[in-house]
Amino acid sequence: MRTSDVFSYSFSAIKLRKLRAALTTLGVVIGIAAIVALLSITQGLQTTITDQLERGLSADTLIVVPGSSALGGGEGGGFAGGGFGGSSSNAPLHINYTDEINNLSPDIITSFAVVQKAGYVQNGSGVIRIVTTITGVNFSQYANAYSTTFVAATGSIPLNPSNDEIVVGARISDPRFNGTLFVRANDEVNITWTNNTVIPFVNKTYTAHVAAVLDRIGGFGIGGPSDTGIYVPLTRAEEFFGTDEADVIIVKLRSSDAATINSTSKIITDYFGDQVSVISATAVQSLLTTIFSTISLFLGGIAAISLLVAGIGIMNIMIVSLIERTREIGILKAIGMKSRTVLYIFLTESVIIGLIGAVIGILSGWVLANGVALFLGRGGVIGSALTITPVLTVEVILGALGFGIGISVIFALYPAWRASKLKPVEALRYE
Amino acid sequence: MEEMFMAPVVEAIDLKKTYMLGKIPVEALRGVNLKVESGDFLSILGPSGSGKSTLLNLVGALDKPTAGKLSIDGVDVSTLNDNQLADLRLRIGFVFQFFNLIPRFTARDNVELAMSIKGINKSARTKRAQELLETVGLKDRINHKPAELSGGQQQRVAIARALANDPRFLLMDEPTGNIDSKTAREVLNLIQRINGDGVTIVMVTHDQRLALEAKRTVQMFDGVIASDLVN
Repeated sequence: MRTSDVFSYSFSAIKLRKLRAALTTLGVVIGIAAIVALLSITQGLQTTITDQLERGLSADTLIVVPGSSALGGGEGGGFAGGGFGGSSSNAPLHINYTDEINNLSPDIITSFAVVQKAGYVQNGSGVIRIVTTITGVNFSQYANAYSTTFVAATGSIPLNPSNDEIVVGARISDPRFNGTLFVRANDEVNITWTNNTVIPFVNKTYTAHVAAVLDRIGGFGIGGPSDTGIYVPLTRAEEFFGTDEADVIIVKLRSSDAATINSTSKIITDYFGDQVSVISATAVQSLLTTIFSTISLFLGGIAAISLLVAGIGIMNIMIVSLIERTREIGILKAIGMKSRTVLYIFLTESVIIGLIGAVIGILSGWVLANGVALFLGRGGVIGSALTITPVLTVEVILGALGFGIGISVIFALYPAWRASKLKPVEALRYE
Repeated sequence: MEEMFMAPVVEAIDLKKTYMLGKIPVEALRGVNLKVESGDFLSILGPSGSGKSTLLNLVGALDKPTAGKLSIDGVDVSTLNDNQLADLRLRIGFVFQFFNLIPRFTARDNVELAMSIKGINKSARTKRAQELLETVGLKDRINHKPAELSGGQQQRVAIARALANDPRFLLMDEPTGNIDSKTAREVLNLIQRINGDGVTIVMVTHDQRLALEAKRTVQMFDGVIASDLVN
């Protein structure tokens, strides 16, 4: 029998039971749509975050944090904000260590300290307050290191700020990104930090002058400046927090190649007797890539289970179909059809179901992914605008097609084999 | 004449078939000797349980004998595997008591199906299906589905389908058993006409009157041939 005839025969059998075929196909559609939606969202999220990372963390920058366990648990927002910090029982990282770090290697251009504490800001009316991360930095060094993100949208960033001048992130000015401004450049705000190292806790407040509002950075503000942070001069931070300890020391390198990053990282950790951790943008990136591939695998795996269920549905329906068509198979065999042609007919039916299911599944998965992205982009459930552009790669499309058809065929193998093995004499007798 | 030297269409020598009914062996055929020559119209008559259905299955290459020799169109059946048996069945035209048409196909598609199994291309088989349906008198029923046809008409479609691949012989199982007597007469006339055109026919029936319409009648009883007479 010709392939085209096998195909049209299979198709006529599917057409006979439209509702049943549609429901079976729906199983495949759901499975494939789930896989495609999850993978394209995850991939889109990864692209967004990697993008943010590349903007926020320059590749020629090392981050030195206290504690010997890199990438440990964090407090507050952002990776740089102590997010990488290890246990607090470790030796502190003093602000003036930057002088020593600068002299450690010719590969180091400069280094500067960052002090970060959680606190809140209140605007002039004092009614609303916003929780934020108070970051003490040298403005000119910070602007130099993060030249693409530490950029003023309104006002201007003072390179030699007076004590009470601050710079605020875009979300501090416009918390909901809806044009209702909390503060503008040149407004006065009150900054409050709770000193919880003494009993009773002490609330410290000072009035600051907003010199500049940063451009919107978007995403999570990994590494460098963040939309939800406020930035105060380093000396003011030391005085306000009553500390000479840095949460992070940022080291600017001459080169971003792996050898320089590795050797300099080692020089710094050795110098501080392994009591500090050095994180590089590339390490964070590779960690993120690992995390995302794990997430993709995990989500894909969950979605694959639904496809597996669809496969069992196909098998079930094929067995029913085989029993219903026992007599038909008997007729076909009696008039000369070979067993393997019967096998092909049944497998072709499953290929048709798998193919249609996969194509519709890919399309609806893509629509679903974009719907979710739109929802998240508008604030979504987590309340923070997250710009995700779902990514649908050729690999995902081909993989989904192959997987959809593959599952359909695998689960049709047994019924098809049983159909092909029917004895014509017995099949013809079947009522 | 060429036909003189041709092998018999069917030749059975001491043919035996034993079934296992659970654990009990049932000897359905106990040594059948039969020869069907080209152009013959043979009826096999017998009550139920006589072994005529078993013989039909063997002669139709649907099943293999337990012992003895059976050759169909010169081919020894006992040496064939399932695929070769299927190929051999392409040279046999089956007509069943219950028509056994594919319900979702039109008359023409049913006739074409037999040819598509053989691998004949679409245009050739459409043309042939048309001709055959005209031959059996269904020119104006070509695009009707079995459910839209009477029993007699369905059996005509089945006969057209059986003739589609130019078989060496037609094998009929109670071809008029499910049709009213008036239509049965018409179908029988068609069968006789086809035989008149040189097509060999083997017909299994339990109907004495029908059996006598054939050129030759073999009477089966208890797994053996009781009589073999020219009518």
